[in-house]
Amino acid sequence: MSDENIEQAISETYDVVVIGAGNGGLSATAFLAQKGVKVLCLEQHNLPGGVATSFVRGRFEFETSLHELASYGPQSNKGSIRTMFEDKLNLDTEFVQVPEAFRLILTEPGEEMDVTMPFGVDNFIDTIEKEVPGSKESVEKFFLVAKEIRDAFSYIGKSKGKPDQNILFKEYSNFLKTAAYSVTEVENALEIPEKAQKILNAYWAYLGLPMSRMNFTLFASMVLVYAEKGGWIPKNRSHGFTSAFDAKIREFGGRIEYHTRVDKILVEGGKVVGVETTNGDKIKTNYIISNASPTLTYNKLIYPQSEVPEIAYKDVNARIHGLTGFVVYVGLDATAKELGLHEYGYFIMETMDTDEAYDSWTKLQAPKGLACVVLNNAVPDCSPPGTCMLDITTLYRPEAWKDVKPEEYVDIKNKLAEELIIKFEKATGTSLRNHIEEIEIATPATFARYLKLYNGIFYGYEPESWDSIIPRLNMMGKDVYIEGLEFAGGFNRRAHGYSSSLSDGLISAQITLGKLLQEDGKA
Amino acid sequence: MSKENGEKLNVTVRSNTKDLFAFTKLVPNRKKRIEKASSEPIREDPINDLAWKLHPERQFLKIDEIKEETKSTKTFKLIPDPDSVTKELAYFRPGQYISLKVDLEGVRITRPYSIASSPKNALKGFYEITIRKEENGFLTDFIWDNWKVGTKVESSGPEGFFYYERLRDLTQIVGIAGGSGITPFRSMVKAIIDGTIDAKLTLLYGSSEEDDIIYYDEFKELEKKYSKKIKVVHVLSCEKVTLEGSELGFLTSDIIEKYCDVNNSSFFICGPQVMYNFVEKELEKFNLSHKRVRREAFGEIKEILSNPDFPQDVADKVFKIKTHIGSLIKEIPAKATESVLVALERANLNPPSKCRSGECGFCRSLLISGDVYISPVSDWRKAGDKKFNYFHPCASYPITDLEVKIPRIL
Repeated sequence: MSDENIEQAISETYDVVVIGAGNGGLSATAFLAQKGVKVLCLEQHNLPGGVATSFVRGRFEFETSLHELASYGPQSNKGSIRTMFEDKLNLDTEFVQVPEAFRLILTEPGEEMDVTMPFGVDNFIDTIEKEVPGSKESVEKFFLVAKEIRDAFSYIGKSKGKPDQNILFKEYSNFLKTAAYSVTEVENALEIPEKAQKILNAYWAYLGLPMSRMNFTLFASMVLVYAEKGGWIPKNRSHGFTSAFDAKIREFGGRIEYHTRVDKILVEGGKVVGVETTNGDKIKTNYIISNASPTLTYNKLIYPQSEVPEIAYKDVNARIHGLTGFVVYVGLDATAKELGLHEYGYFIMETMDTDEAYDSWTKLQAPKGLACVVLNNAVPDCSPPGTCMLDITTLYRPEAWKDVKPEEYVDIKNKLAEELIIKFEKATGTSLRNHIEEIEIATPATFARYLKLYNGIFYGYEPESWDSIIPRLNMMGKDVYIEGLEFAGGFNRRAHGYSSSLSDGLISAQITLGKLLQEDGKA
Repeated sequence: MSKENGEKLNVTVRSNTKDLFAFTKLVPNRKKRIEKASSEPIREDPINDLAWKLHPERQFLKIDEIKEETKSTKTFKLIPDPDSVTKELAYFRPGQYISLKVDLEGVRITRPYSIASSPKNALKGFYEITIRKEENGFLTDFIWDNWKVGTKVESSGPEGFFYYERLRDLTQIVGIAGGSGITPFRSMVKAIIDGTIDAKLTLLYGSSEEDDIIYYDEFKELEKKYSKKIKVVHVLSCEKVTLEGSELGFLTSDIIEKYCDVNNSSFFICGPQVMYNFVEKELEKFNLSHKRVRREAFGEIKEILSNPDFPQDVADKVFKIKTHIGSLIKEIPAKATESVLVALERANLNPPSKCRSGECGFCRSLLISGDVYISPVSDWRKAGDKKFNYFHPCASYPITDLEVKIPRIL
């Protein structure tokens, strides 16, 4: 190491070190800094946000990954994320509501459907009823159960994790009785017609596992929160709010170091004692919140490796790792209106058999499900006059990409991108090819490159019922295998997604603060 | 929505008892699954392996051959340094550059150089870069004096967006090059010939002296052999031209029209800043859409004073920059006419940088206080960065004393 690097190295002691400035890392750091905790967030990239960022090509600043933020809500009906941003942290950000829930275009021969869903639970139910006459009663039940689930979580939260069993049984029996089942199982039990299920299940790609395996509780909560509070998008892309976090953390007296990669979490006798970075930093701390996945943390970061207990490996190996993705970002030199694109969000599905669609993501081929966003239909001035931005997203199991050779990489990604563009053009009846001014393609390797995610996986562990949020929350505290090590983010207790990760960071920070205070009390 | 008749909804999936039992089994089941799982560490991560091969953070290279290209230029053949961790070179897209780190008597600076060889050559283990010696060029003087066969050079992975993209560009490419701006086109020419790119290229290449045209003989030969795919027109700004088939003068709209199907081509421009200023004006006459013109970033602005909106009154000033980097806080001098990045490098702070054009964002830093001048043509900041005072030191010039926080190199 050179002299300058030694001069620049950090050797201070911190109360808490947060590894990674992704959504979970940022909210954890901000919370702790606000409480006056001496906190340092270390981020290997030169930007905050992880996947919650943006990038510039030519005249366009593209949103990297957010389609719509859940749990934000309007001023009159704030969700937990808006409360966090505005009331708790006073972040300097601006969000706008996206105009409609989604447009679902199902292109399966014989099963074609093209329906645009509005926000609002009643509107949502009525629109499904119009498409599928006779479905209303059963879809209403879906939302009734979803509301009961929401209320049950709120009750459990208020009871500080110690709910009265009698109240749970009396008031929230449907929450308990559906908790162990998949979406398919519960929707069938509710006798929701198959076609109505297809519409209701369109949001599935946001969690990314088939309805036959996806836990109902989590999925229903997500559908409800979108229907009730709408979907929201930051005016300046995700980088707008993640850089607001950065500014707020500094204002609170917290510290973020970019381009700083933790390569060792030092553990002694089962307890966290510090971190070392590839920059030569040696930092003492007894508390770490890792925004890196448990998979990465246990397999690569804990030092010495002998300090990783067997159970930690088992925990990671028992879980089903989620998906990585593929995004085509296009800057077009025509307006959305000129292109005939009037909606913000499109789910374009060749099948709503989600097992079949998921299976298409296991192979290196054009997939059977796309989620697309025309940002200008929510933020009209997000690109210069006369232009618009489109992103076409799909998902992959990382295995699909494992044998790709560097010299084939560009051809493969271009061919897939082209097929996706054609699918989008066919489904929406538009023509993009003569309007492409900028195009960028992100693959699983891109997510690995910038985020250093294990296998490029940006969705966390798949929330099948046995590993959904109820059992995860129930085992909170019992899954701390190294003293002083908490996790935060999409691989943690609330599963993946922006709002889940942001909320999770807050919980991890609260737990860590509690431990710090307890320690102070003892001293 | 109210619950019908005040009656509570009662969902049953299997049976009341089974459903409740299933709930009570969730945690025990999860524990059981975890207990039964393998305790083997995970060692494989093929997607990160691929990402690393495509985008290594560093490549340790060694000069394998030096060719006198013209009287002012040399071509360096770079291979993996056998004593290093670099065993193979990253594949790239023709037109991309590598950022070389050069240790100039204790001061480390970076310079982006377009890769002039074909991507297929990288698979065979080499890159070529061609460098022109600048008059009074501190760096190129050093390179001419010190770079020998066997010299070791540290490089970034391949970077940049100046490449043919078939989903966007037309298959007829017009390359407009000036001086050493020809280098990315050599990579494109080779890639067209070896089939990596399926397109045709007409190169309009401006040089100032007949006997200092880079790749002249090489291009002549390739043009002859692959006349359907490659055409090179030399445009010479010297007084007299003796080279057959070349044009005297500058890269004007007339010359462009004479050799190119203007409305059915994608234009790629690479050259010194003065050439851009000239060519942009000429191209305006064709009223081409944005998507038809790609520009390579031209590196740091050489004569910032010639920017009309640069505050001329600070031209002679030397400001102070209080710099936070890691745990170090250091006050350094900075000339108004040099980028903040240059000041940081002169102070030996070893700041990160790649493109030196404002484009890549690798040097993104926080402006805690003070003001900088940023030329509109090199302002690639994101909206959130503008709002929260992040800036790109490579494209920013101090116009007051500053306080900045910069990232360290990884």
